[in-house]
Amino acid sequence: MKNTLYVGNTQKFNAFLLFYVVTASQIGVGIHGFQRVLYSEAKQDAWISLVLSFVLAHIAVMVMMKTLDMYESNDLYGIHLDIFGKYFGNFLNFIYIVYCMAAFLAILKNYIEVINTWVFPYLDTIFLCITILIIVVYAFSGGLRVIVGICFFSFFFILWIPPILIFPLHYSDLNFLLPVLDTELKGIAKGVLSMSFTIIGFEIINIIYPFVKEKDKYKRYVHFGLLFTLFLYLSILLISLTFFSGEQLSKTIWATLTLFSIIRLPFIERVEIITICIWLIIILPNLCLYMWSAYRGVLRMKFISTKKFTFFFVLIIFVVNLYVNKRATINMLNDYFGKVAFIVVFVYPFILFLFAFIKKKIKKSQVSKNEEN
Amino acid sequence: MKKTKPILILLICTLFVAGCTEQKILERISITTLLGYDLEEEDKVTTTLTVRQVSPDDKSSLETQSNTEETSNGTSIKVNLQTSKKIMAGQLRVLLFGKKLAQDSIEQTLHTTMMNSEISSSIYLAVADGTTKEIIEAQYENITDIGQHVFNLIDHNVEEQHSVSSTLHEVVRNNYSPFRDIAMPIIKKEGQIIKINGLAIFNKSKMVGELSSEDAFYVIMLRDKFKAGSVELSLPGNTLNHDRDQDDKLEVSIDSIKSKRSINLTNPSTPEFDVTVDFGCRLIELHSNENTGRPEVTKKLEKAIGDKMESEISRIIKYTQEKNSDIFGFGDDYYASVRNSGLTEAKWHQMYPNMKVNVKVNIEIFRNGVFE
Repeated sequence: MKNTLYVGNTQKFNAFLLFYVVTASQIGVGIHGFQRVLYSEAKQDAWISLVLSFVLAHIAVMVMMKTLDMYESNDLYGIHLDIFGKYFGNFLNFIYIVYCMAAFLAILKNYIEVINTWVFPYLDTIFLCITILIIVVYAFSGGLRVIVGICFFSFFFILWIPPILIFPLHYSDLNFLLPVLDTELKGIAKGVLSMSFTIIGFEIINIIYPFVKEKDKYKRYVHFGLLFTLFLYLSILLISLTFFSGEQLSKTIWATLTLFSIIRLPFIERVEIITICIWLIIILPNLCLYMWSAYRGVLRMKFISTKKFTFFFVLIIFVVNLYVNKRATINMLNDYFGKVAFIVVFVYPFILFLFAFIKKKIKKSQVSKNEEN
Repeated sequence: MKKTKPILILLICTLFVAGCTEQKILERISITTLLGYDLEEEDKVTTTLTVRQVSPDDKSSLETQSNTEETSNGTSIKVNLQTSKKIMAGQLRVLLFGKKLAQDSIEQTLHTTMMNSEISSSIYLAVADGTTKEIIEAQYENITDIGQHVFNLIDHNVEEQHSVSSTLHEVVRNNYSPFRDIAMPIIKKEGQIIKINGLAIFNKSKMVGELSSEDAFYVIMLRDKFKAGSVELSLPGNTLNHDRDQDDKLEVSIDSIKSKRSINLTNPSTPEFDVTVDFGCRLIELHSNENTGRPEVTKKLEKAIGDKMESEISRIIKYTQEKNSDIFGFGDDYYASVRNSGLTEAKWHQMYPNMKVNVKVNIEIFRNGVFE
């Protein structure tokens, strides 16, 4: 097959690091406020929606990996080109690049909005945007291995969240979880849909696959990564559901942060302020991975240097950032992006798998025919 | 190396530029610790606050400010015109509502407070008997910092379970929960001291009644995971000694060791609840010379205390039913145990006054003091 990527061993990384890549790419800004949307759809059964959405994610990721396994060492862009040909393939690649940019923008804007609301209400968004972009460019310029290193690093900045949830547990009331399964199935399904913005990120394996060293056992690490995120999200969601009363939860925009604001430690009174600042390290791998994905796609179309790409990418993000500056616009961005992400991450892999499968079959029969002749 | 240099410079720049963001230097701001809202005529709200100012020469001064305006931000602008330093609300500890405002509705004030990200959700809320202005602006001999004082007053009483915990989070949660109502302590100024003088109970966001501070013990017993707390009971005089007259009261004081309560819905249509409280305690005070080490005496005492508590709890529940204020969260239990109930707030408030509760208190006296 054509378009195969040849990646040298020096550029590859060990398969177990995929665990950190998957968790780091999934956990981002969505975790701040996913409870609200989820609750408004699925009520007290929100946790069922969450578990279901992760089941779906496991299936989707399995299909993605099946597709990738059909090619020895190729990423999504190469598969597109192989299946759909040069023009339509490139068109799909272009869409995926735009998707990566939109994801980048959504993460950036949501994080800036949180900073502006909780910590610095009068700070200019432009200033914040530039600062974050500089850090991202710095990390990005180190290449994939550095980005994976940041993923590994940021994982340990997430680990302190579960123990700190013990404090709000004091105020929790199990009655808020009952009665189980009282919501209609439609509501639960809608809840699954609304999770897409929070759960995405694992589609990175579409792009990162050729860079994994041990291709025979990488799958388990991806699934482990998903399981860890499930554990984290579920513990936060269950505590939020019991901590807040229903209508209160649907009025709380960033429930996780409000959850933290009840914690009062002797040496620090407002834990959530520290949390928000540390969160930069947690979203950094997110931003870098999406930027890197976009770069891989651009490379397939036209060879340009990293420097040039960085310049244009940052410029576009910065300019768009100027126009998305109200809460209402950001919410709209999240809504649209969530819907698109659902299609890209949960629906499209199945379609792609079907095409790849048919293509393989046709090729096989052609080969055998040639042999017969 | 060539590449890293400009990046390094940029990074150093960002590091230093970070110091140029909004500054909140302690010496240049004043800190609010206590905030009081009172209702005036024409829907205007008077805000009274204590402001602490830290000055570099090691002395911090306190002052109180007060102003009347329609929105709380409007007042804050006016108050800023009266102080030399910018007022920040991040260290706010206690929020007081004047009684009149509480009786009108605290909904709007709560909403404003929640919207402000500066304010932590672990601050305490309380109702002031009278106006908050009286309490905050009064001069006290022994109290230097009224804000801190009121906070400590509520905090230690909540910790020892003498008063219902009323953090902003819990109040807002109960306010937005359709089947549960708010309860918060009432604070009163008596001469030179400030004290907790009972429990205000709410219907939705309106204060509708008061319970005495002794009743708070039973309210906490039914509401929360109960840990510590002591209560004084007067039992009928002939409990232990049949020669004594019934009206001659026998005073007992007990201290809780452990308590477990369970609420079960037995009949959804009435509705009817079974409330069982298992209460383990130790005897602190007993105004009698009977030997409490003997099993039959203990048994008698346990029965009498249990009966007394049952009647007290029933009385309190009845009172809240009259006022239609479900501070115990029976509605939540109802909603949690009945499938597809379609329960709404209005429906529950119709059902609540007709609710039947069977209270059963099982007392266990573990030990008494060192002297029988």
